[in-house]
Amino acid sequence: MAYKYPSEKLFVEALKAKFAGIDLADQTTKYVRAGYVQNARKREFQAAGERVAEQRGIQQYDVNVHLGGMTLGQRQLVPYKLSTRPDIVEGDDLHYVNNPAMQQMWDDMKRTIIVGMDLAHETLEKRLGKEVTPESIAGYMEAVNHTMPGAAIVQEHMVETHPGLVDDCYVKMFTGDDELADEIDSQYVININDLFDKEGQNEKIKAAIGKTTWQAIHIPTIVVRCCDGGNTSRWSAMQLGMSYIAAYNMCAGEAAVADLAFAAKHAAAVQMAEMLPARRARSPNEPGGLSFGYCADMVQTMRVKPEDPVWYTLEVVACGTMLYDQIWLGSYMSGGVGFTQYATAAYTNDVLDDFTYYGYDYALNKYGDDGTAPNDLATATDLATEVTLNGMECYEDYPTLLEDHFGGSQRAGILAAASACTTGIATGNAQVALSAWYMSMYVHKEGWGRLGFFGYDLQDQCGATNVCSYQGDEGCCLELRGANYPNYAMNVGHQGEYAGFTGAAHAGAHDAYCCNPLIKVCFADPSLVFDFSYIRKEYAKGAMRTFRPAGERSLVIPAGV
Amino acid sequence: MAYTPQYYPGASHVAVNRRKHMSGDVEKLRTVSDDDLVAALGHRAPGADYPSTHPPLAEMGEPDCPVRQMVEPTPGAAAGDRVRYSQFTDSMYSAPSIPYFRSYYAAINFRGVDPGTLSGRQIVEARERDMEAQCKAAIESEMTCPALAGLRGCTVHGHSLRLAEDGMMFDMLERTHLEGGNVIEDKDQVGVPIDRKVNLGKPMSDAEAKKRTTIYRTDGVKYRSEEEVLDHVHLVHHRRTMYGYRPETAAETAPGVGPVTYHTV
Repeated sequence: MAYKYPSEKLFVEALKAKFAGIDLADQTTKYVRAGYVQNARKREFQAAGERVAEQRGIQQYDVNVHLGGMTLGQRQLVPYKLSTRPDIVEGDDLHYVNNPAMQQMWDDMKRTIIVGMDLAHETLEKRLGKEVTPESIAGYMEAVNHTMPGAAIVQEHMVETHPGLVDDCYVKMFTGDDELADEIDSQYVININDLFDKEGQNEKIKAAIGKTTWQAIHIPTIVVRCCDGGNTSRWSAMQLGMSYIAAYNMCAGEAAVADLAFAAKHAAAVQMAEMLPARRARSPNEPGGLSFGYCADMVQTMRVKPEDPVWYTLEVVACGTMLYDQIWLGSYMSGGVGFTQYATAAYTNDVLDDFTYYGYDYALNKYGDDGTAPNDLATATDLATEVTLNGMECYEDYPTLLEDHFGGSQRAGILAAASACTTGIATGNAQVALSAWYMSMYVHKEGWGRLGFFGYDLQDQCGATNVCSYQGDEGCCLELRGANYPNYAMNVGHQGEYAGFTGAAHAGAHDAYCCNPLIKVCFADPSLVFDFSYIRKEYAKGAMRTFRPAGERSLVIPAGV
Repeated sequence: MAYTPQYYPGASHVAVNRRKHMSGDVEKLRTVSDDDLVAALGHRAPGADYPSTHPPLAEMGEPDCPVRQMVEPTPGAAAGDRVRYSQFTDSMYSAPSIPYFRSYYAAINFRGVDPGTLSGRQIVEARERDMEAQCKAAIESEMTCPALAGLRGCTVHGHSLRLAEDGMMFDMLERTHLEGGNVIEDKDQVGVPIDRKVNLGKPMSDAEAKKRTTIYRTDGVKYRSEEEVLDHVHLVHHRRTMYGYRPETAAETAPGVGPVTYHTV
């Protein structure tokens, strides 16, 4: 067979780094039980815990408390290689609390809102008789970039935010109208033509957006760290209104302002995530309301590397697993300290990459080009079975790989994700990919007589029934499902992967976006603090302590703290 | 109570072993005394009375209830025992049993049990004396190799790890160790030292473990070669999918899925 991509075992390099000097295929090893001292980060933690306890006079972290003195490290504490990256990091560095890049990724989502400009312009023109021109829009953009971070623009004797604390806050606009875009100062424009210049994506995006005009608004990181995601639309709308008043010389209290406010808060606002049912007690722009389609659109690798749909797909998985598993389910929902081990399996050590490229090769050779395989259960069955069997055999042939993914939930997520991503790319259809996910779960469970945690008996055994059904509360196209979809609400180890193969389908179809072109364009903006094109690279920077986040308070606190 | 043999596809000895586990048709390989088992479980002191959560049912004056009349209480329920657990971890390196088949074994062959199935452990909760009976049968049978499986209430980490040089499954808490060729357990399920050495017998040889195992592996019976089991899986997937979409077609043969014969012991 002729392979488009070499299917060598991509994970071997990582395993060699992790398990240095040993035979990767040996089924036995000597357990030296070296304890926590074998690991630099654990030693750092122990020393830090001692300092904290001394400074505050209250006991804190002490590794010896673990199992009454039997510390972590009775087995080898192995590091992690970020997939596609050379960087080797400690597992602790991939906990979101320890990783500022991970925090910033979520901050950049949470602090973003897209607001249409057309309704406001209609109000200004038709109700107030104002003239809206490229020049007036540029004036407005100048005003809104002054005031969005928290500065005064109309009133006297106002307190304001320190510009250095809110330097990540800005507003840009974008439109499918080339003529209008050309007439606006380039600092305020997200340039669709340049950013989506491969495979004609710019034309597809512009056709979808049409002549409409939108603002991509990013309120300060420090604000969403103090307030919830629901504040993003409110903070944004307040500053938008004030900017319109200033830029178009409006009366501050006239009723037309209400029209602008309504447009900014509701009629023209696109939240990144929907509000959840009241029992979840979460506002809009919180992770539980983020649809898989939106998550896939936020990741930009489809734009910069459309020739490699697997790469994009796995960047989405990295994005989704960190957000949904580590932050949403791991902390928001469970109250725990983050389901880090579930997520890292999907974006470290090139394991999922290897399994998915294997499937991609298999599909290319059997069905031809991306997105051309039949959209039916037979395709899902074939691809999921082959990819899952291959992955299981890899775990069996490389005991160190099995040891690396020491939990069945990790393996189940990886095998099913590889199956579904393969199928999504091959068919260009997320629903067939979803079917492959469930097939993989069945194949896996029956072969080894084990799957994941208790919950796998629910979602992964009954989920197939809702793949084709679109009845309310039972089924939905995957792009519009999300973290709070029925049966997915405590689905750790799944949701990021769902987002991944949502993206896989559209990468396989060589689309320009998955669900919403506005989201795709908004997160293409190179001015964002977090680079949504290379998720794993950013995580690595965070783990290596070289990522510089926004929202820091060093300007206003004593030095050296 | 009589149970009928269970059905499962596949012709290999792995499939045969699966049918045996489901049907309770397992060979007894060793004897563990009641007191040793109680000590290893760690729920009460050997020889102590069973703590109870309610009086014996016969003394409770239960209401007139047709369900109560139809369902004979298990001994533990009749006595008012509390609900306690036993939990096994089985190595992926050809341990004789695997979590789902431990659960099937318990659920099919014992009454009043509540099995829970995960990847690295399998728990059975039941009234204490009922749980002990089920656990004793499992631990004495060919379902359990003392080196490749273990009673682990917490810190179960080990099922997917490489074996130790002496062939023992990794256990952070070292509840068991090899001594004179036998596996000795000197800590209870949660790692608390016990005042005795429970002899769980000799480990299975590699050949014996592979002969008795229920897991498909590339170094044993290759899963890929067990076409009938894979066809069974494909059929399940097809039917579950179609039942949610067009139920009237669910019983039809799935495209590309071969005939599946469900064998019994």
